[in-house]
Amino acid sequence: MKNQIANKTEFSELIEKHQAIIHKITLVYANGQTDREDLFQEICLQLWRSFPNFRNEAKFSTWMYRVALNTAISDIRKKKTDIHFEQLRDNDRMETEPSDEKEQVKLLYRAISKLNRIDKALILLWLEEKSYEEIASILGISKTNVGVKLVRIKQKLEEMIFKLQ
Amino acid sequence: MNDKKLKDMWNKAETLMGASDYESPAIEQFISGRSNDTTQKIKNMIIFDLVLKALAVCALAVDFVFYFGTANIMAVTVAGVAILLPLIFMQYKLLNRFLEAADNGQTTRDKLASMLTYLKTKFFTTLLSVSGTYLFGFIAGSLVYFYTTYGYVRPLDGVDFVVFLTFILIGIVLNFVVNQGQVKYHIKHLETCLKDLNDKNLELVTENIELQRKSDRSNKILLALVLVLGILLLVIVFKNIGFIVK
Repeated sequence: MKNQIANKTEFSELIEKHQAIIHKITLVYANGQTDREDLFQEICLQLWRSFPNFRNEAKFSTWMYRVALNTAISDIRKKKTDIHFEQLRDNDRMETEPSDEKEQVKLLYRAISKLNRIDKALILLWLEEKSYEEIASILGISKTNVGVKLVRIKQKLEEMIFKLQ
Repeated sequence: MNDKKLKDMWNKAETLMGASDYESPAIEQFISGRSNDTTQKIKNMIIFDLVLKALAVCALAVDFVFYFGTANIMAVTVAGVAILLPLIFMQYKLLNRFLEAADNGQTTRDKLASMLTYLKTKFFTTLLSVSGTYLFGFIAGSLVYFYTTYGYVRPLDGVDFVVFLTFILIGIVLNFVVNQGQVKYHIKHLETCLKDLNDKNLELVTENIELQRKSDRSNKILLALVLVLGILLLVIVFKNIGFIVK
């Protein structure tokens, strides 16, 4: 893949295809629309800069998660990382959603926003249907550790959602 | 709440948040932009310092030509270049180390651990090396100034000398304090993340840092010596002390 991508245009097209990954990460780590855009931009830049070191040993999406999450975790520009739920846009698509579902999704995000940066990464990868092995290879911890931590984080999320309801 | 329900809620969230899709030209603009990342600032600091050191070497070479025949000034320029060249090499090695540590393509654990190790062991050395540039840059620049203005090195009196030295020392100390403050916050953040990843991680990295610190001590001593030598050269130039036969 690396040999095929010779310039910025080709790389941008590749990112365009996989941008959903970055959007999900910015939703969890950034605070409001402007911060989300800033983080999106920073992640794209870091992906481009890290690309020369990308070895085809890992899947492109795994590598992308790694770079994007490392960028989000290391980002210390903003101290507050809570998502402002008041800022959620009531767009057309949202209007069609039943209101209790809308509330539940907000609750889930509010609960995730209260987790620490590492737990956010773990739960995000699990929600994205990544295997324990893949999560371990992205974060650099053992599969057993991933399992143990996920059980704890899910419990924590459940408790928080219950309290927030 | 079961796993399926959590995942269903997650999948609905994407629609709810209404994230806008970017076209390829917008992404191309993003990757051509400037980074606001803290690591980028450290990288820029090291690169900027490398450029300044290279300029100082060039200025000293010019000084050598200007003052050809004045033995003590020629000796000072040669000594300055002889000290700066290894410093440039060392700073270049530090830059490579930093780029390795800052690579986001590593696993999260490795990224956090390598950045923490760099900041705790090599950053002080980097700052010492940057401080050295102030001194040599000042010496090289002043020699050019004196040549173009007076045609010779005007000896400074006691008060002038104290004022110059004070300004340089304040520059060095300020540079230290500002950078140390920023890095301390960064270190704290990295330590917290490493601890959150796995309690044992931080212990292992701390042990590794202690080992590296011991091996890095000689570098720090060497750099501190360079700073002292730089100040000595400054005294030699501006007090016109001939340490080599005129």
